[in-house]
Amino acid sequence: MASLFNLTITACDGVFYDGPCEMIVIPGPDGEFAIMNHHEKMTGVVEVGEIRFKKEDGEWQKAVISDGLFTVYPDGSVKILSYSCERPEDIDTFRAQEALERAQEQLQQKQSRIEYEISNANLARAMARLKGAKTQR
Amino acid sequence: MASTKEILNRINSIQDTMKITRAMYMMSSMKLRKAKEKLAETEPFFIGTQKGLAENLAHFPDIRHIYFDNRIEDDHETIKRRGFVVFTGDKGMAGAYNHNAIKMALERISGMTKDEYKLFVVGETGRVFFTNNGYNVDENFKFSSNNPSMHRARIMSEYLIDLYNREELDRIDIIYTKMLNSVTEETCVERLLPLKTHKFIVEQAKEIEADTEGTSKAAKEMKEGVKHVHSINSYELEAIQHGGDSWFPFYPSLKTVLEKLVHNHFTAFMYGALVECSASEENARMMAMQAATDNAEAILHELSIEYNRVRQAQITQEITEVIGGAKALKKKKRR
Repeated sequence: MASLFNLTITACDGVFYDGPCEMIVIPGPDGEFAIMNHHEKMTGVVEVGEIRFKKEDGEWQKAVISDGLFTVYPDGSVKILSYSCERPEDIDTFRAQEALERAQEQLQQKQSRIEYEISNANLARAMARLKGAKTQR
Repeated sequence: MASTKEILNRINSIQDTMKITRAMYMMSSMKLRKAKEKLAETEPFFIGTQKGLAENLAHFPDIRHIYFDNRIEDDHETIKRRGFVVFTGDKGMAGAYNHNAIKMALERISGMTKDEYKLFVVGETGRVFFTNNGYNVDENFKFSSNNPSMHRARIMSEYLIDLYNREELDRIDIIYTKMLNSVTEETCVERLLPLKTHKFIVEQAKEIEADTEGTSKAAKEMKEGVKHVHSINSYELEAIQHGGDSWFPFYPSLKTVLEKLVHNHFTAFMYGALVECSASEENARMMAMQAATDNAEAILHELSIEYNRVRQAQITQEITEVIGGAKALKKKKRR
């Protein structure tokens, strides 16, 4: 077994996970990005999508994450800050579906650039949620 | 002395007012509980992003970028247009809560001409005040301070960052009220953009360290816990002291990370400020209403004493009148 490092995932509604972890896979801007212990210290971008990490007991925990940043510290610990992070079973698919439709509807209309970007981000989040919830079942 | 009827009228009206203030007290105490819960949930994220930003800035190479406001063309600008985001409540009756924020904003913009600043006011009370008094307020920035949501924070921060990127603003400060504990609140000013450069943080950290007596402005502010407007905050000092000078890689690129950092920090700060403010507002309102109810009770107490006194005096007078009349009759009979 590979050695463990401390992982902290903080979302805007509280600390999602704080504990030991063997490996974490993060959705990055150009594909997935895995971090193990003793990684070089760095800062990077997390994209909207599915995150998964191997816990102490060797079990993979999946979560749907919104955009944010991750930092690897010199001692190997990893901190992730994101707007939201949810377990697949906690996702309200009905709400996500509604958000998806709302975003699609808004994208059909003529919008300012900011509105367009916000709707686009909302769409991405809703799609990631739905995808995460589907793989669970 | 007022007549019994007048006093009774006053007592009734005060009782009615007390009913209202008591109801408002109950309402805000309920809302406060909800807001406090939200505040506790948000706190790790709010502090985490501030720490994260500080740590990243401590490792950021010195580059010229619009987010640091140090590009060549930025150095040649004669006027620095400043934006102030002021957080007030939607309603009044919250003690000094709104006034403190407004006062702080007025202090900051005093001495500036209209094209040097722009106000972005959150909450109806502040907006009404600033527009009625003819300050330079952004008309399109209309947000309520009730029920903070991430969505609203996102829209607000996108709007402001867009203005910043279009160079309509050169600096953005945020004025919000922070809840220290359930009795004290503090109005804070914080600079969101431009970010502080690595060089600046190092210099300030050195100055604070060198200055053991704590006489310089930076060290003094640090000690008093004044949030960083001229200087750096404790997170940044800590970050620089933990080996700030080593660089580390940024994935996928410096620019993307910087962009994300700014957006993330801005949105998180907006959200945090919204949550802090809603809790502070309810807290201030609750305390104001509590004081109002207490005052009403005190007045009622005094009035009831006065009422009884007047009533007694009236009765005494009536008795003396009756006795006087009876005596007069008696005298008449004897004759």
